[in-house]
Amino acid sequence: MLRLGCFKQRNSHVTFRSVLQHALRASNTHHSHDSTLHILRAHLSSKGQRTLCRTVNQGPPHSSFSFGGHRASYSTQPPNPGSRARITLRTRLAVTLVIGSGILGTWLYVWREKQQKLQLQRIEQLKQVAVGQGNFHLLDHTGRRRTKRDFLGSWVLLYFGFTHCPDICPDELEKMSKVVSLLDKESDLPPVQPLFITVDPERDDVAAMARYVKDFHPRLIGLTGTPEEVKEAGTTYRVYASAGPKDDDGDYIVDHTILIYLISPDGLFLDYYNRMKNDEQIVESVRNHMKTYVKLFSN
Amino acid sequence: MSAPNSSERRACWGARDKLWKCLDDNQDNAALCEQYQKEFEANCPGQWVKYFIKRRDFLKYKEKIQKEGFEPADGPPKL
Repeated sequence: MLRLGCFKQRNSHVTFRSVLQHALRASNTHHSHDSTLHILRAHLSSKGQRTLCRTVNQGPPHSSFSFGGHRASYSTQPPNPGSRARITLRTRLAVTLVIGSGILGTWLYVWREKQQKLQLQRIEQLKQVAVGQGNFHLLDHTGRRRTKRDFLGSWVLLYFGFTHCPDICPDELEKMSKVVSLLDKESDLPPVQPLFITVDPERDDVAAMARYVKDFHPRLIGLTGTPEEVKEAGTTYRVYASAGPKDDDGDYIVDHTILIYLISPDGLFLDYYNRMKNDEQIVESVRNHMKTYVKLFSN
Repeated sequence: MSAPNSSERRACWGARDKLWKCLDDNQDNAALCEQYQKEFEANCPGQWVKYFIKRRDFLKYKEKIQKEGFEPADGPPKL
């Protein structure tokens, strides 16, 4: 077997040529594999070239080039310069290409395997964090009972807020609606379901939610319920919510986590977006999640 | 009391923006912007007025910190 790494370290191509010529002649005259190797080793050592390679077979060391009578045919054959040069160059190129593409192919395969493994690891970690893993039982703004199961199979963008919110919730819901509209325009992506869950169940009943959500995206669903149900949903998503002091007419502001959550069709929490992310950035991120998600999972 | 709808919100924000612009132009001299103050309080719920006042204070503070930098309190921290 040729160790071509050795040949690359050699300075003289003449020696390579003569070696190859001898190797070809060896195969033509039907000598054994062993004898070919011995010839190559002798060439390498006898030409006085330094080489760092080792041959596969450890034969006895040779000090001279002659091996005995049955190999005398090599030294008597006349050289053919023209055809020898052509074969050598082509063979060299071909062999380099084959090895190069072999290395590249292997590297690509290994790299892709690693990426997939990393992705799976991340999903496992997210599962362990278990944000949003619990179920919720809420009423939507039409009065229909909805649970988390109802939304499995679609991508969901979820925001927690309240209808008496001065500026932040309308801004974030406006941004979320814009994101959904932009994603709707891309026909190769599945539709996203926007959800709005209240952190203020005392004031935000079904009618209040209905009034509120109609100002935003037509598909936006508002969810509310009893304080216990809302608290359960909030805890599942680790949402902080704290009602402020009431003023004279009973109005108050609820301090709460301002995040838009991205949930996969499996019901798995995948990503979150804060106030710093604008609609374009969120669209980009959701699109990437959708594309990589489809590639990996079939369940 | 129901929450403000979209047009009411926009009216409130408009009045707030006018008030804030007046205050910016007059170096926070509230006396010169009384008319805008009245309009703002008429258009926005009480809680929102309080909230926006606090918000303005916070935004001013943030600007100050960003421009002038943060000066920690004197003396070494007590452990």
